[in-house]
Amino acid sequence: MSKTPAMAPVISVNKVRRSFRSAQKGEGLKGTFELLLKPKFTDHHALKETTFTIEPGSFVGLIGANGAGKTTLLKILAGLIPPSSGEAKVLGFTPFDRTMEFRHAISLVMGQKAQLWWDLPATDAFDLLKAIYEIPEDKYRERLETLSELLDVKRLLQTQIRRLSLGERMKMELIGALLHWPKVIFLDEPTIGLDVLAAEKLRDFLKTFNQKEKATIILTSHNMDDIERLCSRVMILKSGEMIFDGSPNRLVREGECRLRIRLKETFDIPTLSQITGIAEANITAVSENDDAEEDEDEKEESADSTAGGAEGPATIPTFYFETTKEAVLKILQALMGKGTVLDMGIEEQSLESVIQRIYADGVVSDKGEADVRV
Amino acid sequence: MSSASASPRGVRKFFHYEWRLAALKNGFQDATAYRIEFLLEVLGAALIPAAIQWVLWYALFKIGGQTTVGGLTYEQMLAYTFTSILFTQVRGGDHDFELMEMVRSGGLSNYLLRPASVVEFVYIRGLAPKLFLAGLSLLIGVLVSFFVDSISAGRMVAAVFLAVLGNIIHYQIGAVIATLSFYWEEAYAVLMVKNMVVQILSGELIPLNLFPASMEWIWKSTPFYLYVYGPTQYALGRWSHVEFMNAVGVAMIWILGLSILTHWSWRLSIKRYLSLGG
Amino acid sequence: MIPVLKKYSNVFAVQFKNNFVREAVYRSNFLTMLCVDLVWIGVEFSLFTVIYANTNSLAGWSKEQVFFFLGVFFASDALFTTFFQKNFWNFSDLINKGELDILLTKPISPVFLALTRWMSLTSIFNLFLGIGITIRYSHAAGFAGGIRWAMLPFWLLVGLATALMLRFAFSVWVFWTDRSWALSRLYYQFFHFATKPDAIFPVMIRYTIMTALPFAFIGSVPTRALLYGLHFQEYLLVVVVLLVFFFANSFVWRRGLARYQSASS
Repeated sequence: MSKTPAMAPVISVNKVRRSFRSAQKGEGLKGTFELLLKPKFTDHHALKETTFTIEPGSFVGLIGANGAGKTTLLKILAGLIPPSSGEAKVLGFTPFDRTMEFRHAISLVMGQKAQLWWDLPATDAFDLLKAIYEIPEDKYRERLETLSELLDVKRLLQTQIRRLSLGERMKMELIGALLHWPKVIFLDEPTIGLDVLAAEKLRDFLKTFNQKEKATIILTSHNMDDIERLCSRVMILKSGEMIFDGSPNRLVREGECRLRIRLKETFDIPTLSQITGIAEANITAVSENDDAEEDEDEKEESADSTAGGAEGPATIPTFYFETTKEAVLKILQALMGKGTVLDMGIEEQSLESVIQRIYADGVVSDKGEADVRV
Repeated sequence: MSSASASPRGVRKFFHYEWRLAALKNGFQDATAYRIEFLLEVLGAALIPAAIQWVLWYALFKIGGQTTVGGLTYEQMLAYTFTSILFTQVRGGDHDFELMEMVRSGGLSNYLLRPASVVEFVYIRGLAPKLFLAGLSLLIGVLVSFFVDSISAGRMVAAVFLAVLGNIIHYQIGAVIATLSFYWEEAYAVLMVKNMVVQILSGELIPLNLFPASMEWIWKSTPFYLYVYGPTQYALGRWSHVEFMNAVGVAMIWILGLSILTHWSWRLSIKRYLSLGG
Repeated sequence: MIPVLKKYSNVFAVQFKNNFVREAVYRSNFLTMLCVDLVWIGVEFSLFTVIYANTNSLAGWSKEQVFFFLGVFFASDALFTTFFQKNFWNFSDLINKGELDILLTKPISPVFLALTRWMSLTSIFNLFLGIGITIRYSHAAGFAGGIRWAMLPFWLLVGLATALMLRFAFSVWVFWTDRSWALSRLYYQFFHFATKPDAIFPVMIRYTIMTALPFAFIGSVPTRALLYGLHFQEYLLVVVVLLVFFFANSFVWRRGLARYQSASS
């Protein structure tokens, strides 16, 4: 991130929170009346306090499981819902005011909600958008030309939407979303349901558009390829909490890998750290009896009772070393000097696996290192 | 349903009363899952047509100063209107549309192993809330008969019976029309037309004796008058027992004829449906 | 003001064009709907034919006057069916399936966009049919004709606006209940009142269902206005009731939208 001087962030989110209340309806007629007279509310925290800024021209990926708060954040930024507290600014606007100027400057695409007319060719839908956004004829022609060229759908513009494939339809949706040349584009699951090839083409396009037009793009996706290929920055949400914000490279470093090893002897983590020279934080133990909660206690306990504790073979832990490919051999040599290796393997650190791991068991510290609990 | 019909025991069960009972229960729960809406709908369907009729009679008698219309006094007219509400509630609903939708959407395929029963299954489901309403109407009717001399409880029971026969006829006609959708995308229009014709010829909008003699043949040539007009006339004692038995006979003939027609049209259509590959 | 009007009329024009193209592709249901509507008109006519077989006058209205009324009513209703009806069928999807989200990001009124999306342009035939009926019975109904015909378009538009307000008022509750069809059905139940000339209604109903819920503004009031003219205060009443409905609808819509926005995540 080279610091371009005096460039105001295009999006700034300051201590934004979003919770919503829902009334619980009881059983039957009684429940209905109760709902009317004295509703019981429960609060859900869809998005916990979040703060960040986004520079113009960024391509940011938002990831998280269903219900993690991605769409909530997107809706706040697009002005569909207000934050419960805190302040969000997009292009200097408060999104929820939804001023006409703001609406002209953004675009929202929801992969699962098509806005095109089923029975008409795409051009007819674009005509409508042209009228809504008051795009001058010449600009409209020019943009449609550019976009359809880039997405390679020129020959399909006159085809009924219903006759298009899912991928082609999504491309048309994108064209529709970009005709007014928005400065900020929110894409909710743009590649959902697309086959590998179609998704790839869409990504190429988004990348080009982002680079050429300097539009800021925020994208949510379940597809790690989307993030890996497109985003210079990734935000990971878990249960409404931002657990990682940074370059995807910080999640997966070049040449980084994970060494999995099981030894006949039982060592504790500090000992292993001494033997191999790998920091304790980068060694994790996974016992067969996966009591993830007892992480802390176990560490202390095993530190007291040192090696050779009366544990059966079933509970021999598997150790994971976060390391680099070059260092693997050194570690193995050191370990083989001290004990007998029962089983070993090297695992690639794909973004997908990193995120899966983060999701499965831990939080990411700001250093970008996985603090994986046992 | 389709899995039940796969095993011999399932087949037996399929023809047994159990599934019918289940369908009945299911249909009732479905219709009344949202009680307030159900109530609103019944009340709306009952009161608003009655209010419109009342308004018409008010205009004719009170504003227009007529003493009798079609041989009926204002009070007799109102008696007709309010009694007919009960039978209007019993008359067939829109479940023939559901049947047609099944054909159109291909949902029928799930029931194809026992085609004849699909028709019955949908009917029973639709019948459930109507039976409930019929019971309610009967209760109200009998209660009223204790206070109003001109209405007898016995006639009320018989009238509800005729209305239920009318309900069957209504659905049978719908079922036959529904087979059109095997051949024609827009067959639902025929059902809509049928319902509009039923509105005027069943007697739920106006008593059919208002039809001038020269036009009587119109309502007499359809079975629709058996839905509301017939039961109301009998309940109010304006039909003799003979006329009533006559009407029941006519209803039976319609039911028999329509049963054959339903059976035949569905057999034929399904055969075609299958030969076209579903 | 002018640029905004231009934008809205442009959008409307494109929606119109798109619907026209769409319906040209699916011509098949034109005849079907026409038949259904003809039967509907036929049923209403037979009802009054039967009633007038027993009397010469209904609350002072002759048979021809009622037929004249039916003509005005059908024409006015045809306008609603042509331009708006279908959008209300999709109204609950708009809110319950979140289709409103996209509309909210567009630089135009989301209600306008939602209510102009689907048209049923072939129903315009009913407008001509209605006007035809109106003309056919105008003389016998005692309509003075001449320059007064100029008022017909105005009253048809009043009818259209009324139907739009009412249908909206019955639909907007979808923000609070996912079973809005119950209310939609209620609308159509009440709508039956509109199919009868309001003169026949007792005063109480005339001022509740027909005026407060201004079903009488579709057909009845226009017919009376055309046949006999209205008092100044009656014109005023029409305007006031429509305005009140407009503001009430906007208010409920905004409340609904606020609820929609506070309930979603």
